[in-house]
Amino acid sequence: MNNTQVIVGMGSCGIAAGANKTYDAIKNIKEAYDCNFVLKKTSCVGMCFREPLVEIIDDTGYFLYGGIDESKALEIIESHLRDHEPIKEYVVKSDLFPTDDDQYFEGQVKIALRNCGHIDPENIDEAEYKNAYRALKNIGSKDISRKDVIKTVLDSGIRGRGGGGFPTGMKWQFAYQSKNDDKYIICNADEGDPGAFMDRSLLEGDPHAVLEGMAIGAYAIGASQGVIYCRAEYPLAIKRLDIAINQAREKGYLGKDAAGIKDFNFDIYVKEGAGAFVCGEETALIASVEGERGMPRRRPPFPAVSGLWKKPTNINNVETFANIPYILLNGAESFSKYGTEKSKGTKVFALTGKVKNGGLVEVPMGMSIRDIIFKLGGGIQDDKRVKAVQLGGPSGGCIPEYLLDTPVDYDSVNATGAIMGSGGMVVMDETTCMVDLARFFLDFTQKESCGKCTFCRMGTKRMLEILTRITEGKGEQGDIERLEDLAYQIKDNSLCGLGQTAPNPVLTTIKYFRHEYEAHINKKSCPAKGCLTLLKYEVIPDKCTGCTVCAIKCPVDAIDGARKEVHFIRQNDCIKCGECYSRCRFDAIKLS
Amino acid sequence: MEKSLNIELDGKITKAYTGESILQLAKREGIEIPTLCNDPRLEPFSSCYVCVVEVEGMRGHQPSCSTKVAEGMKIVTDNDSIRKARKTALDLIMSNHYADCKAPCTETCPAGVDVQGYISLIDKGRYSDAVALIKETNPLPAICGRVCVRPCETACRRNLMDEGAPVGIDYMKRFASDYDLQSINKYVPEVLPSTGKKVAVIGAGPGGLSAAHFLQIQGHQVDIYEAAPKSGGWLRYGIPEYRLPNDILDAEVKNITDLGVNIFYNKSLGKNLSYKEIKAKYDSTILTIGSQKGSLIGCEGDDAQNVFSGIDFLKNMEMTGKTADFKGKTVAVVGGGNTAMDCCRTSIRCGAEKVYVIYRRTEKEMPANPIEIHESKLEGVEYLFLTNPKKVNKDANGVLKSVTVLKMKLGEPDASGRRRPMPIEGSEYDIELDYILAAIGQKTRVDFIDDINKYAEGGQLEVSRWGDIVADKKHLQTGIPGVFAAGDSVTGPATIIEAIAQAQTASRAAHQFVMGEELQEPKKEFLSKRDHFKPQVSTDYMGKYDKQIREEMPVMEAENRFNFEEVELGYASEEVCQHEAQRCMECGCVEVYDCDLKKYATEYEAEQEKFAGDYHQHQIDFRHPYIEIDNNKCILCARCVRICKEVVGANALGLVNRGFDTYVAPSMGDSLTETNCESCGLCISACPTGAITENFFFKPGPLKEEKAEVICNYCSVGCSINVNHHHELVMKTTGAGGLVNSDGNLCQMAKFGYRYMNDVNRITTPQLKQEDGSFKDISFDEAYDIIHKRISSVEADENLFMAGARLTNEEIYLVQKLARAAARTNNVGSFSYFNRGDFYAQSANNNVPFDQLKEASKVFLIGDDIFEKHPVIGYMIQNAHYIQHVKVEVINPKGSDKLSHKYGSLGDVGNFYYFFKAANHYLLSNGLENAMFLDGRVDDFEAYKTAVLAENFHDLVEKAGLCCPTLVGDFVKDYLNEINSILVFSEELLTAETAREVYNLSLISGKLGKTASGIISLKEKNNSQGIFDMGAQPNLATGGLAIGSQEAQDKMKAVWGVDAPVVVSDIKALIRGGKVKNAFIFGEDPVGTTFNNIEEGTCMDKMGFTVVQDYFMTETAQRANLILPASMPVETGGSYTNTQKYIQEFEASFKPKVEKTNPIQLIDLLAKFGLNGLSDLSDVSSEMIKFLPQAKEETKYQLVFTAEEGNASPFAFGSDYLMKRFDKEFTESFE
Repeated sequence: MNNTQVIVGMGSCGIAAGANKTYDAIKNIKEAYDCNFVLKKTSCVGMCFREPLVEIIDDTGYFLYGGIDESKALEIIESHLRDHEPIKEYVVKSDLFPTDDDQYFEGQVKIALRNCGHIDPENIDEAEYKNAYRALKNIGSKDISRKDVIKTVLDSGIRGRGGGGFPTGMKWQFAYQSKNDDKYIICNADEGDPGAFMDRSLLEGDPHAVLEGMAIGAYAIGASQGVIYCRAEYPLAIKRLDIAINQAREKGYLGKDAAGIKDFNFDIYVKEGAGAFVCGEETALIASVEGERGMPRRRPPFPAVSGLWKKPTNINNVETFANIPYILLNGAESFSKYGTEKSKGTKVFALTGKVKNGGLVEVPMGMSIRDIIFKLGGGIQDDKRVKAVQLGGPSGGCIPEYLLDTPVDYDSVNATGAIMGSGGMVVMDETTCMVDLARFFLDFTQKESCGKCTFCRMGTKRMLEILTRITEGKGEQGDIERLEDLAYQIKDNSLCGLGQTAPNPVLTTIKYFRHEYEAHINKKSCPAKGCLTLLKYEVIPDKCTGCTVCAIKCPVDAIDGARKEVHFIRQNDCIKCGECYSRCRFDAIKLS
Repeated sequence: MEKSLNIELDGKITKAYTGESILQLAKREGIEIPTLCNDPRLEPFSSCYVCVVEVEGMRGHQPSCSTKVAEGMKIVTDNDSIRKARKTALDLIMSNHYADCKAPCTETCPAGVDVQGYISLIDKGRYSDAVALIKETNPLPAICGRVCVRPCETACRRNLMDEGAPVGIDYMKRFASDYDLQSINKYVPEVLPSTGKKVAVIGAGPGGLSAAHFLQIQGHQVDIYEAAPKSGGWLRYGIPEYRLPNDILDAEVKNITDLGVNIFYNKSLGKNLSYKEIKAKYDSTILTIGSQKGSLIGCEGDDAQNVFSGIDFLKNMEMTGKTADFKGKTVAVVGGGNTAMDCCRTSIRCGAEKVYVIYRRTEKEMPANPIEIHESKLEGVEYLFLTNPKKVNKDANGVLKSVTVLKMKLGEPDASGRRRPMPIEGSEYDIELDYILAAIGQKTRVDFIDDINKYAEGGQLEVSRWGDIVADKKHLQTGIPGVFAAGDSVTGPATIIEAIAQAQTASRAAHQFVMGEELQEPKKEFLSKRDHFKPQVSTDYMGKYDKQIREEMPVMEAENRFNFEEVELGYASEEVCQHEAQRCMECGCVEVYDCDLKKYATEYEAEQEKFAGDYHQHQIDFRHPYIEIDNNKCILCARCVRICKEVVGANALGLVNRGFDTYVAPSMGDSLTETNCESCGLCISACPTGAITENFFFKPGPLKEEKAEVICNYCSVGCSINVNHHHELVMKTTGAGGLVNSDGNLCQMAKFGYRYMNDVNRITTPQLKQEDGSFKDISFDEAYDIIHKRISSVEADENLFMAGARLTNEEIYLVQKLARAAARTNNVGSFSYFNRGDFYAQSANNNVPFDQLKEASKVFLIGDDIFEKHPVIGYMIQNAHYIQHVKVEVINPKGSDKLSHKYGSLGDVGNFYYFFKAANHYLLSNGLENAMFLDGRVDDFEAYKTAVLAENFHDLVEKAGLCCPTLVGDFVKDYLNEINSILVFSEELLTAETAREVYNLSLISGKLGKTASGIISLKEKNNSQGIFDMGAQPNLATGGLAIGSQEAQDKMKAVWGVDAPVVVSDIKALIRGGKVKNAFIFGEDPVGTTFNNIEEGTCMDKMGFTVVQDYFMTETAQRANLILPASMPVETGGSYTNTQKYIQEFEASFKPKVEKTNPIQLIDLLAKFGLNGLSDLSDVSSEMIKFLPQAKEETKYQLVFTAEEGNASPFAFGSDYLMKRFDKEFTESFE
């Protein structure tokens, strides 16, 4: 059993699902019985819906166990390691036999996530074993020029994965062309979209990919200092980054003549962001790094000309940097062969919402949204109907069911009114009220507005007020037009991306689900039955047996009725908790 | 820089500079783009989005303030889409602007009288100014002060605080107006030059009189035609004298006729006056005929004898001059309005036994003024509420016998909102009566309509179905072009103040008509209102204001009222009136006249309630003694935050929270006083609204202000400032954007140091000390005689003349001329440079121009006092540091870290003299001198070098008291490394010898005299440099020549015609030795500012006879034998020379509060000595200029070795009382 490895997935998702306990249980057994296997940690594999995950690799093959709590851990140790009998029903993936979950991996192409879940992120040796820093070392050993590095990146066609989709190679070229002795390279790890966790998983799972990507970028543009701006809410990512940076320094990948490249002196530090969403905007991010209030400023000048401390600065997103070493090592074509004409390579998505298999997926650009949801994601929970998909977080938009064949690439997604964004993909079924959804996202953006520009600060607030009153059944005629008018004005009159895109969820929901707005306003009803104030729980007299259960369970005593008589819900007192609805054994309570 | 870019701006091809913004380009091209967040002093920010424009090829709108022009750019600055965006931005801002532009009193007043403004003037005892302000909108303040129905008081927010007791607005108006009427300097409006146009006004009632007033002062000739034999209309014939005495009415009418208005009496249109005649003589006509026809009760039998209409009754008494005889009679007045009150109270005064008021509703519904009801009850009137006459019963002769009345009850509200009275069946009863006065309304009588329409052209006069004249609402023009109508005859019976409001409209339109202009309404002003957000309650105002009991109107005792003497007696004293003025809560915004937000909201017709929703209510923060923060008015442009960071470097303000909840607050949420705030007030200057304002210690109005531009008289930087004043009452100061401070930045001294200008405790006449130590006023001639006699009676050199460094060049010149040409002595000097080395005479010669600070590579601050003593230079340095990244380092005095939050420090220095001497030693001993520079340009290098190197370096370092021994070397190396470095210091902190060594350093290192390199030496006082340049030193003649030189002597002889003295004495020794028999001290307070004890410091006690000239009774003045009053700079004019040697002139703008200004006094004194030829300031100026060098002479630099440190000044504050006074005020206000 010497070669046997037991690897526990210890990303944030794993830990949240109890991976720590699983790990400790296995460790205790191993120590108690002096078992002869290697116990290791890794990070998220992407199958968040099956956490905690335990991977066993032995002479016979590869087995990924899903949903392994302490007791199941005991079971698989006993059965698999002692008795050499894998418990097939727990296996979610194996190279020996198919599983029900195989479809989750079909169609995925892992470039950015190539090492996630396959290495111990706190161990640089494992990363090196998986080719980490090889591309960087090649620059020194093969004497690759800065221009050539930029050319390769340009040729790969990679575009910024943070949401803007600006060609990375061009960004590097601008920064390269800016003449200055001091330049900076910044990794934007201020992932703030609700429901997005691509960057976190990457940083937790393969920090070296990001460090190497930054180092290559720094070499290309001529920067000597790198900053990773990471939100403080990602403690594990920060911890692993710190470990990785220290290890990289020890190995000489950072510091003087980094990676053996002569006169390439480069180091990186992590700057913790205080959690303002707007700090993901690059000029606000720079202000925040400088210790100022995170507020965007006008571009131009672009950071490539005047950025951090007014020096030329290149800013890329985590995923972008993670792709870079792969591209440099394997050539531009290895990346550009995936994807569509204008959107090359792969894209990581955080698949969440009402989808069965939520998690992280990396797919070639151009795959249809429908395939992502139904093939990788396994369809909709409870087999309900999909209604729409929100792409791009609060800055993005809703794509309705009938457009789900839209391929994921920058231009096709933009054409729907949504944006690719950083990769948040929230799936909604028929129970989601689209007005309420727009209200939810707008509530987020208006709270996260830095407060600088009039339209963003005040306009989103006023839009939110209109949306709120619509969802409360107080909408007025003309509210939709008022929303649209304000939305377009906000888009036209805002300084940064936050304001310019904040109305998108409202505009796309109005565009595709106008009837829902109209129902709220005209009929004072919520078709998806999502808006509480518009709902009414009522007793169906024919079905009520007078069992009194609902009256007893009602937390506010809003139900009247004597035993064996039809009950009655006093609407004024009802708090719409739904307790009666779920308790009634005779389906005698209806929601309307 | 060259304009190299081709831009298309609004379709026009233009050239632009590289790097400029669209906003800057548009401004240069004369296109106004509105902006709120842009401040030319600051980096563009782009938050308000009011300045948006369209740029071809760019998505959405672009903020023009931060969009830089680029080659080929096509820009549109105005179209529907842009205007919509700007309006929406303003709508959105206003939807969270919980604030009032104007106070409710003014807004409610039909005539829009500026109540808050005139109360602020009454508060200061400036009654005639208050009347002037009232008369801008209401020409009858004494009348209205008695009989106005006071909608202002109903709206007054004091009602909230003091449970229904509003500010006594009308009482105060009456007090101010009565005061003014009796004043010898009563307000007389300015009448504009004649336009040659004539306007006829028909009717001399309140509307007609007001219209005449408004039109006459515009330069038109107004003639009023009045049907009655006297003026006033309803004021005279309707309102009884006990409420409005005829002499008050006559006085106000006289004020109007004094303007040139004619009143022709007994002229009734349609009877003895035809419109034909009017039309021929006048360019326009205004009908203000009133509603004169009374109504009867309208029930059966109301034609009985002794049943009158109330107004006929009142009018008849006034016309005949006879009081009705009601002795022993019973009178009933029917009605509940103010006419009913006048009738019942008059009836009492006519001796009636019993007076009833019959009113069909209850007291609550009565339209009469509650005060009137109250007073009538006191006088014995009996009220029959819910009662209505049904039938008048007469005797056989048709004479009134009794009235049958019905009891009523109240039903549902009617159209007027009042509950409708309903008769109670069978409740009839009779009341025995002698007289009935019906006061239930009036009608307009248009009996001239046929006459007017007969001769009218272009249209016809029409009458509405209520019998009133038809006139369009906006201009009050009738159907006949050029014929306007105003007052009751248009509105039906209304109030005086409404008639005045109508007169405003009609006279504005008539003016436009006669001037051939289109009839136009003034653009509707945007007004933000708190009431748009929520009903106001008392707790909204707790905090800044306390409850304060209203000063009620004293009235005549009720038992004394059986006559027609005025019942209300008026406030008894100014104290009472001013105490009442204190109750005003100043609801209107002080920035109402200057607010950019209001300006643009008006221009773009913003709507405050369009986006009504959630809004913020902030407590107003007035914890800082000079700065008030009202976040309710903040628009988050962050100009205050940014100027505090970018210009001041204090970083005292910041933005807190995010999104809609963002607000500006002092750092850490503390009071501003707890932060690094320097109290400079630049945030106030940056605020485009009223969110950050001066925390006024007086009621600031707001009042419309004029600006008097002067040069600041505190420090030597020489900032141009505007003294903003209302009729010479100084309200505030603002930057004037002059030569030195072109950006308009002012420091705390200029900004808040203006209070002295309003101080009424001035010395205004010469005063002679009496034997008992008191002062007695004497005439100027007596004073001159005494001075002349004193000077003539001693040896020439026993006289001493001292000139303050705050005086103008002209004044200093005259003082030294008085010394040299009149007293024939060179004993002339200044306490501000008393006993200091002579280097300061030349230190300014090589100062780096201030605007080169931004081109420097590094600025060294010697000492830590620049931001206190010469803050504007501090701002220039900080701004260069922020924008151009000029490095700044401080050489701190030992133990100070005052500037550590702004700049790094090189280290602490115990003694600057030895430090710089050590630095020079280090330079020379290490051979680091700049030989190229020294060669040929600097004299005496070798001698200097020898002398310096003879000293022991280690001794120097030790005496310098350094924090670390390597400091000298580090500093020198650092200093030499910089290409353009500037050493900045204030002379107050360094002795002249220390300054000399700093100068030596910049010479040896070759840094002097190059662009953006060298020294900036800052003098203490506004005209410290003038002391030297004007020759107020024993050894210097005007123009800086040595006094003994032939050139100087020849010049003085040539200009003055006398032989000037040549002996130069040591002034200090003279004083110490008791040799001074006469001392003349102009504009200095050595006693009040000395660091030493008084005997040591000024030896004033050793002087013989002392003459002191000053504004106020300073400590020095108190010790004088003779005091001369001084005029202030803003009253005098003249010029100052700043520390850069810029001579800056300014005009006198205020009327002097003294009979003779300082230069005139000196000119008079010179004349006493036979030195004639000067008569005014310009003579002085032209004579003075004869002494000044005509061209800058190229001279070699001198290296002068100093052996000792020299003396610090024995006087603080440049020996100036004003500087000391401000410092004290400023310091104490924070305690």
